[in-house]
Amino acid sequence: MKQIEVKNLDFSYDEQTHAVKNVSFSIEKGSYTTIIGHNGSGKSTIAKLMIGLLEKNSGEIFVDGLPLTLENLQEIRNKVGIVFQNPDNQFIGSTVRDDIAFGLENHCVEPEKMDEIINEFAKKVNMVEFLDSEPTKLSGGQKQRVAIAGVLAMAPEIMIFDESTSMLDPQGKNEINEVIRELHAKTKMTLVSITHDIEEVTKSDFVIVMNNGQIVMSGKPEEIMMREKELLKSNLDLPFSLKIIKELEKNKIKLNKSVTLEGLVDELCQLNSTK
Amino acid sequence: MGNFVLGKYLPYDSVIHKMDPRAKILAMLMVLVSIFLPAGYLGYAVLALVIVSTVLLAKLSLKFVWKSMKPMLFMLAFLMVINIFAVKTGYVLIAFGSFEIYSDAVFNTLYIAVRLMLMIMVTTCLTATTKPLDLTLGIEDLLKPFKKIGVPAHEIAMMISIALRFIPTLIEETERIMKAQASRGVDLQEGKLNEKIMAVLSLIVPLFVSAFQRAEDLANAMEARGYAPGQKRTRYKQLKFCFRDFVLLAGSLLLVVVIALMAFVL
Amino acid sequence: MSIEFNKVGYIYSEKTPFEYAALHDVDLKFSEGKVTAIIGATGSGKSTLVQHLNALLLPSSGKLNILNFEIVAKQKATNLKALRSHVGLVFQFPEYQLFEETILKDLCFGPKNFGATEEEAQEKAIRALKLVGLDQSYLEKSPLDLSGGQKRRVAIAGILAMDPDVLVLDEPTAGLDPQGAIAMMSLFKELNQKFGKTVLVVTHDMEHVLNYCDEVVVMKKGEVYSHTTVHEFFKDTTYLDELHILPPSVVRFRQMLNERGFHLPNDCYDMKTLCALIAKEVKNHG
Repeated sequence: MKQIEVKNLDFSYDEQTHAVKNVSFSIEKGSYTTIIGHNGSGKSTIAKLMIGLLEKNSGEIFVDGLPLTLENLQEIRNKVGIVFQNPDNQFIGSTVRDDIAFGLENHCVEPEKMDEIINEFAKKVNMVEFLDSEPTKLSGGQKQRVAIAGVLAMAPEIMIFDESTSMLDPQGKNEINEVIRELHAKTKMTLVSITHDIEEVTKSDFVIVMNNGQIVMSGKPEEIMMREKELLKSNLDLPFSLKIIKELEKNKIKLNKSVTLEGLVDELCQLNSTK
Repeated sequence: MGNFVLGKYLPYDSVIHKMDPRAKILAMLMVLVSIFLPAGYLGYAVLALVIVSTVLLAKLSLKFVWKSMKPMLFMLAFLMVINIFAVKTGYVLIAFGSFEIYSDAVFNTLYIAVRLMLMIMVTTCLTATTKPLDLTLGIEDLLKPFKKIGVPAHEIAMMISIALRFIPTLIEETERIMKAQASRGVDLQEGKLNEKIMAVLSLIVPLFVSAFQRAEDLANAMEARGYAPGQKRTRYKQLKFCFRDFVLLAGSLLLVVVIALMAFVL
Repeated sequence: MSIEFNKVGYIYSEKTPFEYAALHDVDLKFSEGKVTAIIGATGSGKSTLVQHLNALLLPSSGKLNILNFEIVAKQKATNLKALRSHVGLVFQFPEYQLFEETILKDLCFGPKNFGATEEEAQEKAIRALKLVGLDQSYLEKSPLDLSGGQKRRVAIAGILAMDPDVLVLDEPTAGLDPQGAIAMMSLFKELNQKFGKTVLVVTHDMEHVLNYCDEVVVMKKGEVYSHTTVHEFFKDTTYLDELHILPPSVVRFRQMLNERGFHLPNDCYDMKTLCALIAKEVKNHG
């Protein structure tokens, strides 16, 4: 079932620059989709359009069949949660506890029920012991986990991660990617992640590649990440495994195209033992 | 920044700390009113006694209170000088040749000094024992009745709490930009006037640019999490009025009445 | 001329309840004319360390010798401004330090602060802009109109315009896309090779350490944990595991193959050579 459908979406910040040009795609319910592209390719703009923080010029966006219009805005925002890039700028409360409560207050949850919900979601992102900490005492990764808890507590059906790991150190990145993987494995939530990280792309179900405000290609990561010409044209780095495959080809070893290092290693080991 | 203690919260564990911020704000207002009543020496003695014991009850050191008064000393000294030159009533206290200092000049200044000191002590009792956020909640609740005449109580409280949340972030940012510009040869201490203006600009402009960026991000994050100004929402932190809060209010009311009696009846 | 730390310690908010020691007895000598990576977890003291290099922070204890400028703890340091013109420090997200109306003016700001005349400053500005790969058409534009990646280039050009002998960068690629990051690191490598600049770069990216740096300093809990050449550093993956560092792809790939019966040499970091060796090994089996 399609949970998000975008048809002929068009958007520009000003008259000169067209940020999103005639973009159409759909996202399956319960899937994990990555949107990849270089900085300025229009991928983050799409995220903001999907939750109505920016107003499209033309085209249509449907969430669960519901068109995104001013009347439906609140209903759609209840379905779609988003975690942004900058850990500092999306921490609204003065402590972790208050920050998770912020969304609940907006949803008019009764105050007596909030503590239980706050504890439940702080536990999900491993932040229970920091509930009373102030943001200045937390690392970037911890702040992003709080942001995730704050969004999850509002029980959305769709979560968008808008470059949520790009300002984090390797440890923070791992923490957030781990949370995303767990959400994908344990819940039926639809996940959309806007990213630069090819490693993350290889773990998703579906990838959309963007360049100059347009979709260049989309499909399964195993196939898409092997299309060298299009990747280079979109100003993206080639996955390491593709570089290896090309190099081995020069040395007259032909491998099946695998996007993961593990796959390549398996194949090489087979060659090494059977021959 | 670290030496500035006026308005700083001190996390001690005292009965005053535990009281409801609304009760504390109302009590403070009542005591402020009584400070302004012309109650004479005895009245001020009573007030001073009550206020100093509150300070001690809140486990605040008198040294801390004194520190928060320091910024006012210069102002008082200035006032004294002006009064000495301007006020020529009462009897002559000291005379230097033809220049005379009158009693009213000295007593007026002392009078203002005592009032000011008492006022600072009272407000310190509030701000040092109440977390900024709780203070905001208290203000919000107290402003609620004025909603009918168009006071946006909740929005004011939200603005204050966000400002409080971002002060440390902006201080950090300021330090970073200062260092970054120092690396480009900016020297805030020395240099000619126009160099100094450039130095200040090199700090202010980036600070504004980044603050606006943060504001935009924050607005997006708030909106995405379902916030819309003016819409109905619940509140996680609920304030609870206890017996001790009634005692505080009753006590403050009694104080106002006593002082008022001393000022107008006796 | 050298860059030397001698038992340097640094304590934040000394003599207050918030006192926090960020560096302990750091002994370190950076190699001149090299690109050195400074790595370590968040809070390991990397940023504190680099801010000593142009005297933005002064040591609480110990002694520093930077390009013949001597800084001793508890002694009044002189000539800090002169030191800063020789050591250019680029902070994290440097795009936030742009403030002038035009890029030209912003680039001239540093040189003029250090006493250059208007003409000299402009000349330096134009040269610096070219170095970071932007042409002269940008000179009269407002720095605030640029894209994120371009802003960062201009901010770095602002430091390069001061023509420092030593360039220190605190996570210069944070927030850039992979292509932008590669372009940035190549620029530093070029500055090092063409102009002999000493480059010190704080980074988390091990691919960058392997591909663009000569030496690695590992910081851990305010101390220098190790200081080795890059090749030495990536040789022993058990050591990297200990530090919770994910090795670069080439090293990981080699390691995985060796664990499964390949015999690839430990000191091979070049992908081409590695692939040739793999091919050889596979064919020999056949």
